[in-house]
Amino acid sequence: MQEQISRAEIAGGAAPSGALVHEDTTAKWFLVSSVAYFFIVGIVAVVIAAKFVWPELMSTIPAMGYGRLRPLHVNGMLFGWLLAADMALTYYLIPRLCGVRLWSETLGKATAILWNAIILGAVVSLLMGWNQGLEYAELPLPLDVAVVVAWIMYGFNLFMTISQRRYPAMYVSIWYVMGTILWTAFVYLTGNFAVLFTTGVNQANLNWMYVHNAVGLIFTPVGLALAYYFIPKASNTPLYSHKLSMIGFWSLAFVYVWTGAHHMLHGPISQWLQTIAIAFSVMLLIPVWAAVYNFFATMKGQWHQLRDNVPLKFLMSGVVFYLLTCFQGPMHSLRAVNAIVSKTDWIPGHAHMAVLGAFSFFAIAGAYYMVPRVWGKQLYSDSLANWSYWMWMIGGIGFFVTLWLGGFWQGWQWNNPAIPFIDTVVALEPVWLVRFFSGILMFAGILFFSYNILATVLGEKPKPTAA
Amino acid sequence: MLRKADTSATWAAIISLVLFFIGGILTTVVPPLVDTTWAKPFENADPAKGPTGKLTPLNELQLQGRQIYIREGCWYCHTQQTRTLLADTKRSGWKGVDSPVSTPDEFVYDDPHLFGTKRTGPDLSRVGGKYDEQWHRTHFRNPRDLVPGSIMPPYPWLVEDAAEFKAIVAYMQTLGRAKDWRPDNDYEE
Ligand code: HEC
Repeated sequence: MQEQISRAEIAGGAAPSGALVHEDTTAKWFLVSSVAYFFIVGIVAVVIAAKFVWPELMSTIPAMGYGRLRPLHVNGMLFGWLLAADMALTYYLIPRLCGVRLWSETLGKATAILWNAIILGAVVSLLMGWNQGLEYAELPLPLDVAVVVAWIMYGFNLFMTISQRRYPAMYVSIWYVMGTILWTAFVYLTGNFAVLFTTGVNQANLNWMYVHNAVGLIFTPVGLALAYYFIPKASNTPLYSHKLSMIGFWSLAFVYVWTGAHHMLHGPISQWLQTIAIAFSVMLLIPVWAAVYNFFATMKGQWHQLRDNVPLKFLMSGVVFYLLTCFQGPMHSLRAVNAIVSKTDWIPGHAHMAVLGAFSFFAIAGAYYMVPRVWGKQLYSDSLANWSYWMWMIGGIGFFVTLWLGGFWQGWQWNNPAIPFIDTVVALEPVWLVRFFSGILMFAGILFFSYNILATVLGEKPKPTAA
Repeated sequence: MLRKADTSATWAAIISLVLFFIGGILTTVVPPLVDTTWAKPFENADPAKGPTGKLTPLNELQLQGRQIYIREGCWYCHTQQTRTLLADTKRSGWKGVDSPVSTPDEFVYDDPHLFGTKRTGPDLSRVGGKYDEQWHRTHFRNPRDLVPGSIMPPYPWLVEDAAEFKAIVAYMQTLGRAKDWRPDNDYEE
């Protein structure tokens, strides 16, 4: 693996003169817009956290109601921020791993424009309450069609780049990106189109297949593609094992898709399907531990670098959050545990650790790494970057841990029917208050991060060494 | 084969899709073929076999109410499933009678389904017939007037628009009524 990463090094970093020059316009456009949405949707996030504490906040305006802002928060973070940032970073790393230019910058720029149009359409329709009523698939049908078109444009561009690569052997990040493109296509079609031909439990089953795999087969593989690329790059250390990364990849490809029905445990869906979902959920430990072991082993002897290497800090904290989330996941699927935590506030604690703690951390690390290189400037402020890390860590841990404890307690109370429901609401008040303040800290992380990126892009600090 | 995928993008793509489709098809296309109760509307006339009753599709007014329920995002805070847990059947129950658990045949006409994932408020799968119109009016105007400590948002615009109010209440009253399980039909005071 040493050999490949060093090849990647040549392709990406300090290339000898006369070597390949990457244009990176597509990556830049996607990145800047994703950071802007991160900031805007971050405000929405704080507002909905506040509504748990002050339920009458802005509640006389229909468009500002909880039921309108929550899908805006979820869709905005998933598609406006995270997926767009992931796309930006893959537009950056795939050409470098392939040793060629992006197949078409024109197509890439058109994709970026279409993607932004989709996100703006999503904001308007969700605020208006044009909601399809399916989680993660709220957007009206015309926008769903536009997403498919944009995804084909994105996938085609990267596949063409890969097919023209100069290095025959593909680094593991390339597989993960290819997997993401292909699986996402089918998962998205299931969750947004196949559901339209079904009703009731059958539809719910397709919906959960999509919801679960939106995380498992979209954000997980593309997040791992980033981690596999940026951990060796940021630490200047070759990946520990190619074989282990293969085990992780192929087991992920096989195992993830079976687990959707674990969202309906104890619910009105066939028991045998629940059991299958549980069995495969436990098997998820295999791809997770394979990847995590590989990352830790790569860092062996390199941990001292964490002290002042901000991207690496985000990456390795992200790996730890990934490990924890993916330990929780299989545990929730066990019937006895599920009977307590399912439908409680534990679940948003879990979901935020996955999407923010693990996958957003990988994307943030990637952004801090990529922005100075593609714009050829020095990062505006290293200490601000460090501050953003600590805001997210403290805010994030405050958020996750209070919701787990609160959610567990809530579930425990629900299982005692002698306790009136409203008492279990009142009991959670302190939890929601702490969550709100943790959310403010997390928002400070977003603020510092987006300001730093913006100031780097617009600023005039040239890079000391040639990019 | 997997070795070949190391250097061939086409192979890698094909194998990733094949592995994905095995689980994909077995867990999405096959289950409704195997378990036919998913698509058969609930109907039972024999009290020995459990609660009697019949599932009927919603009428226009009720469907309109359901659309409001979706538009306002009620389903982000309320589930609609009485699970196979004792506590669920007690909490969905009424006047000391435990509610029957939810079964797939009660949801055959649901499109989109509204099972939900989060219970910030109580489960609503058996709320039909629990409260009268006046209760809902007061509750939508400001939930805290009826239930101090509630964090449900107020929905003044639903009360002010007579047609919308009629529709949402009509929909609420259908929830969980396919199975005839309530001891009588008057509302809680
Ligand atoms: C922010 C979360 C939230 C949203 C959104 C929400 N609710 Fe509630 N709801 C609650 C809470 C908490 C309670 C329990 C306290 C109470 O009765 O007000 C509740 C209680 C109820 C009850 C009484 C249930 C019972 O068995 O006592 C009904 C009916 C209800 N909500 C209907 C709705 C409808 C219809 C909507 C959408 C227009 C809605 N809710 C939106 C949180 C929410």
